[in-house]
Amino acid sequence: MSAQHRATATGTGRSLARSRPRYGEQAIKVVLMLAALVSVATTVGIVFALAEPTIEFFSEVSLAQFFGSTEWGPLFKPAHFGVWPIIVATLEITLIAIIVAVPLGLAAAIYLSEYASRRVRKIFKPVLEVLAGVPTVVFGFFALTLVTPLLQDVFPWLGLEPKNALSAGLLVGVMIIPIIASMSEDAMAAVPNGLREGSFALGASKMLTSVRVVVPAAFSGIVAAIILAISRAAGETMIVAIAAGFKSVFTLDPTQEMSTMAAFIAQAGSGDASTGSIAYKTIFAVGSLLFLMTFAMNWFSARMVQKYREVYD
Amino acid sequence: MSEIGISMPNVTVRGPEAPRNLESLDPVFQVEDLSVFYGDYEAVRNVDMTIGNREITAMIGPSGCGKSTVLRCFNRMNDLIPGARAAGKITYHGEDLYGDHVDPIEVRRRIGMVFQKPNPFPKSIYDNIAYGPRVNGMKGKMDDLVEQALTQAALWDEVKDKLKQNALSLSGGQQQRLCIARAIAVKPEVILMDEPCSALDPIATTKIEDLMQELSRDYTIVIVTHNMQQAARVSDRTAFFTAEVDEAGVRHGRLVEFDETSRIFTNPADKRTEDYITGRFG
Ligand SMILES: Nc1ncnc2c1ncn2[C@@H]1O[C@H](COP(=O)(O)OP(=O)(O)OP(=O)(O)O)[C@@H](O)[C@H]1O
Ligand SMILES: [Mg+2]
Repeated sequence: MSAQHRATATGTGRSLARSRPRYGEQAIKVVLMLAALVSVATTVGIVFALAEPTIEFFSEVSLAQFFGSTEWGPLFKPAHFGVWPIIVATLEITLIAIIVAVPLGLAAAIYLSEYASRRVRKIFKPVLEVLAGVPTVVFGFFALTLVTPLLQDVFPWLGLEPKNALSAGLLVGVMIIPIIASMSEDAMAAVPNGLREGSFALGASKMLTSVRVVVPAAFSGIVAAIILAISRAAGETMIVAIAAGFKSVFTLDPTQEMSTMAAFIAQAGSGDASTGSIAYKTIFAVGSLLFLMTFAMNWFSARMVQKYREVYD
Repeated sequence: MSEIGISMPNVTVRGPEAPRNLESLDPVFQVEDLSVFYGDYEAVRNVDMTIGNREITAMIGPSGCGKSTVLRCFNRMNDLIPGARAAGKITYHGEDLYGDHVDPIEVRRRIGMVFQKPNPFPKSIYDNIAYGPRVNGMKGKMDDLVEQALTQAALWDEVKDKLKQNALSLSGGQQQRLCIARAIAVKPEVILMDEPCSALDPIATTKIEDLMQELSRDYTIVIVTHNMQQAARVSDRTAFFTAEVDEAGVRHGRLVEFDETSRIFTNPADKRTEDYITGRFG
């Protein structure tokens, strides 16, 4: 097509062709893509870094030993590689944390999104985000030096050990409240106001509207918040290392000292396990397992959300 | 779908089909000197009108003149907007709607509302209908009630095989009829409709107009509409609002004229009404 032809097509004598090349646009696209690649590459890198020592580990310790025994002590002589005690401890502390954080976090989110005035919300949300920024070592010492003694005083019959899963779990719970509250609040705030009005117009109270319309409509966002919180709780290291200790016992009793997977990694990693030793490889095997557990949960919940969410648009 | 049919051609006033003695009005709402504020802004000033029992009252007027604002006072929906406030008086069957003893939740249960934009809940069709009765304390299965409400809203035949399907899979017109069914399901005494047909095609609009006629046997209906023909076709009385600029240069919504629909459309008392209706304004 000739230039003249194109020009007449637009009627103003000016072609619709790009008048000058947009190098800026191209450059930005490349930069953004590189930024996205960094996180993908990191994840892939982690998987590979974990994979090799993990495979080496399982060439020395059989899967049957790893999953078939309940005695854990890779750093002792003789070493034991039954992983269940630290799995159970991890799940237990995560469960305590979730029991604390889900109701409180959701209640806070409902309050902020549905009840609080704009002014209150403007004060509360930053406070919540500050709480999310508190270094976990602070929570750890809080658990060890304040919560455990307090619980020992108030419930002496519990027989709480100086280091125990209960206090650690409680404080891990406090740590993840802001994640749940803040992300859930965002999800609820995104629910169209028309849905609330529709509910109120039928004679529903604020509470019913929140619980039966807003929360279900924000369900996928809320589940995403809880999943992220669970992942953070399961991987939390500092609080459990300080407040729950390093003892590997196979028990469900939360009053006892117990080592989680993350705590074990921190302990072994900060010790003198030399590269290539079995203790060193154990770190990676446990790391891989934690990674897989978190990944499986994410995948599973993503599918669940797909199935049950209420799409509002 | 049409037992009641659209027997009336084009712009016929409702009068002949539903002969009523409109003069002897049995008041449901009485509005006296109502002004509504959003913060400091007086959106509507000094409105007086009466809504008759089992009548259809239309509110018309240019955009921004306060029709929705007044409508939302009837079920205290404006309470939910921070800073909104009503002055003056509205009585409902003689009882002060804004009295201290009045529970807005009870008000909204008795006075239902259908919104301009269809707003079904992102739940199943069934659950949308059952929601109102459930939040009002009804328990268990309510298949009959769901069928009844959907039938009344002229939607049953279209959805009876997919009650478990998400309501958002319906078309816009179906969604709006679902919202009407949802409002009917709590058995309100009054239904307020804010431009219920504005997003709909002529066929869906006709269905909803038929439905309103049908419903007006049992319910009192107040409808806001931009469609003059619609007001003429369906309503018994019409309130014409407009926006006026006061001495200070602030715009307020005002009620210009309120009368039987036949009179508003054939022999309006106010020049502004006539201009608006004949299309010389806004
Ligand atoms: N939530 C609100 N906050 C502040 N001002 C509002 C609010 N809602 C409405 N107004 C103002 O009140 C006036 C009347 O608005 P309203 O929505 O009642 O008009 P309307 O007649 O329904 O218009 P339309 O035909 O466009 O729907 C407008 O000036 C509007 O800006
Ligand atoms: Mg309006």
